[in-house]
Amino acid sequence: MANSVLLNSIDHQEVKVITERSEKYGDNLWYSLTFPSEFRSVQAYYPIFFNKDVNTGEFFSVAMFGFQDKENLFLTNNKWDAPYIPLSVARQPFLIGLQKVNEDGEEKEQRVLHISMDHPRVNKEHGQELFLEFGGNTPYLDTIADMLEAIHHGMVDSKVFINSLIEHELLEPFTLEIKLDDKTQNQMLGFYIISEEKVSELSGDILAKLHAKGHLQAIYMAIASQSNIRGLLIRKNIQLGL
Amino acid sequence: MHKPLRKIVIVGGGSAGWLTAGLIAAEHSTDPQSGIEVTLIESADIPPIGVGEGTWPTMRSTLKKMGISETDFLLECDASFKQGSKFLDWHTNTNEHYYHPFTLPYGFNDTNLAPFWQPFRDEISFADAVSAQSHLGEHGLAPKQISTAEYDFNANYGYHLDAGKFAILLQKHCTKKLAVKHIIDHVTQVNNSETGDIASITTKNHGDISGDLFIDCTGTSSILLAKHYKIPFVSTKGILFNDSALALHMPHESPDSPIASFTCSTAQTAGWIWDIALPSRRGVGYTYSSTHITDDDAKKELRDYITPIMGDTAAQSVKIRKIDFSPGYREKFWHKNCVAVGLSAGFVEPLEATALALVELSAKMISEQLPADRQAMDLVAKRFNAKFLHRWLNVIDFLKLHYVLSQRNDSDYWREIKDDKSIPDSLREQLLLWKTQTPYHYDAIHAEEMFPSASFQYILYGMGFITQERNKKRVDGSKKAQMLFGENIKHTKQLLSSLPSNRELINKIKQYGLPKI
Repeated sequence: MANSVLLNSIDHQEVKVITERSEKYGDNLWYSLTFPSEFRSVQAYYPIFFNKDVNTGEFFSVAMFGFQDKENLFLTNNKWDAPYIPLSVARQPFLIGLQKVNEDGEEKEQRVLHISMDHPRVNKEHGQELFLEFGGNTPYLDTIADMLEAIHHGMVDSKVFINSLIEHELLEPFTLEIKLDDKTQNQMLGFYIISEEKVSELSGDILAKLHAKGHLQAIYMAIASQSNIRGLLIRKNIQLGL
Repeated sequence: MHKPLRKIVIVGGGSAGWLTAGLIAAEHSTDPQSGIEVTLIESADIPPIGVGEGTWPTMRSTLKKMGISETDFLLECDASFKQGSKFLDWHTNTNEHYYHPFTLPYGFNDTNLAPFWQPFRDEISFADAVSAQSHLGEHGLAPKQISTAEYDFNANYGYHLDAGKFAILLQKHCTKKLAVKHIIDHVTQVNNSETGDIASITTKNHGDISGDLFIDCTGTSSILLAKHYKIPFVSTKGILFNDSALALHMPHESPDSPIASFTCSTAQTAGWIWDIALPSRRGVGYTYSSTHITDDDAKKELRDYITPIMGDTAAQSVKIRKIDFSPGYREKFWHKNCVAVGLSAGFVEPLEATALALVELSAKMISEQLPADRQAMDLVAKRFNAKFLHRWLNVIDFLKLHYVLSQRNDSDYWREIKDDKSIPDSLREQLLLWKTQTPYHYDAIHAEEMFPSASFQYILYGMGFITQERNKKRVDGSKKAQMLFGENIKHTKQLLSSLPSNRELINKIKQYGLPKI
């Protein structure tokens, strides 16, 4: 995001962040990034698919909110109609920045909190305050900092998780047939899912290894999440008045 | 019951030997009890010829079949993507060019666009009108994205590669993953059985090595088929004149220079110059007819080509390798229990990179039709010989076509190579037919022709050939054709906006690798 700056209590003392959910704040998302440590919460409401980064060809997992670009079927009347919002959405307009610090003569990289000043949530009139009167963090900002830490570690784990899915050839491309109540049919292409069949063919040794790394649970969470496709379809039918 | 075929001995390394070994060992079980055994013997004394740096799209399925990761292949063989050939100065020698892309004309399987393009011949080139790929060539774009899985494509492609590094990669893969036995030794003698089959070959240090099937991959020396069995050679020098080549390697102008994704072939006074771009260098060479130009004059023309790219000093001092060859092929390729693959079977000239393609096709047929025993072998051999004779003749006609349509008259070479007497009857007949009908599916006599009728269209119409169809059709197909031309424009725009440059993609592959799926 353009104009992302290091957050500090002096320059940003008066900054407020709107936490309402709406299209005008960029919540009309087709899908957003997720990672295994969040799968338990995500799979309760959203299908978890896999997608390739067009710039690197690397896979990442996503929580699905709709069937096409800019379609978030959970977004209704300025509300997000689900008890859990994936962290990569909830953290907006904050992001992690890296800062070089000198620690005992050794150069190290430290994670720091950045804010996108151009983000439509950022203003000085409405929403959550970031800093207390004398510069301390508000509980809101502490929550955000925790989220970003969770995302950072989640993405590191995610890479290992996805590499092991690729190694055991568990991902497969799939085409989602979208049949609506008015009999119209559409296809959604380009996403990947974990193949239940291939998982069932894994040997005991490999299953034990996946379990030891905590990947087995994530695999089943992702498989279970596929039942939420039905939920998305119901939302789509309601939205179209079908 | 005949004794089952168990032991296959391949004589000669290089791309031909290792591709054959790899394709056979990837197809068949090499279980020590019940499977076959593939042994490759190569001499340390004889270096592979090391040219043949362009492949067809068939190489993708060949590598995939052998279980080689495309990322490993691209990085280890200094390979880049080839989307076809670009011909310069072949037609009128006025800085003109045309493309022969690997992608078939739009909708080719059920609609022949060539007749509908004819009225617009002066407004748009044939390749530009019917395919997206010539546009990709002009913009230097890659045939895929970093997110496109290994061996998948947005536009059909083969490779440009370093032949030396390729043989090393294949050797490593065949010996480590596919249980191919590798013996480095010199063959001193070929021993016949009572029936005239090859029973064994004698080596300097490993004694006699016996086998049920011997595959001759010994290059132009053709030790088994030509030297041992004395199978006659059929020269094509009277049709395709080139019999010499001068080859060199040169650096790119700068490390981030664009990598051309087409083999550039520029016609000269007595042949043509190839220009093949790999990520780290360019391979350039002049193939010519020694009866029409002296080596020194050929060297001068080659230097004139590279001087604008690398500068005068470097062009004068660059190391040039001379290769002589006799254009032609063996009268038969499979004799008794011996089959030749690669240069040992024949070589006509480097145009259209048929050498590696013929290796792949030969190895594929040997592997997929592998005779179960000695009795079946004669039948398979008969089929193999018929099929490959047809393929060689198809190659010769197709290559000759590139020359006969030229309007160049600047040398004896060009005047003679277009001469009616030098044109095979089969090609002369087709040229006559194509005056009133465009090449299409009926032009393919056999399944799996070397060159589909689409390729003949690209060359014919790239070289300005005019087909005047006289038969009026009851149903007007022009509406459908207009729709397909329109779809090709849309498809082209979409590819132009989404594909990276060849260099950009290679750099990304170095960083991330291509995804497996």
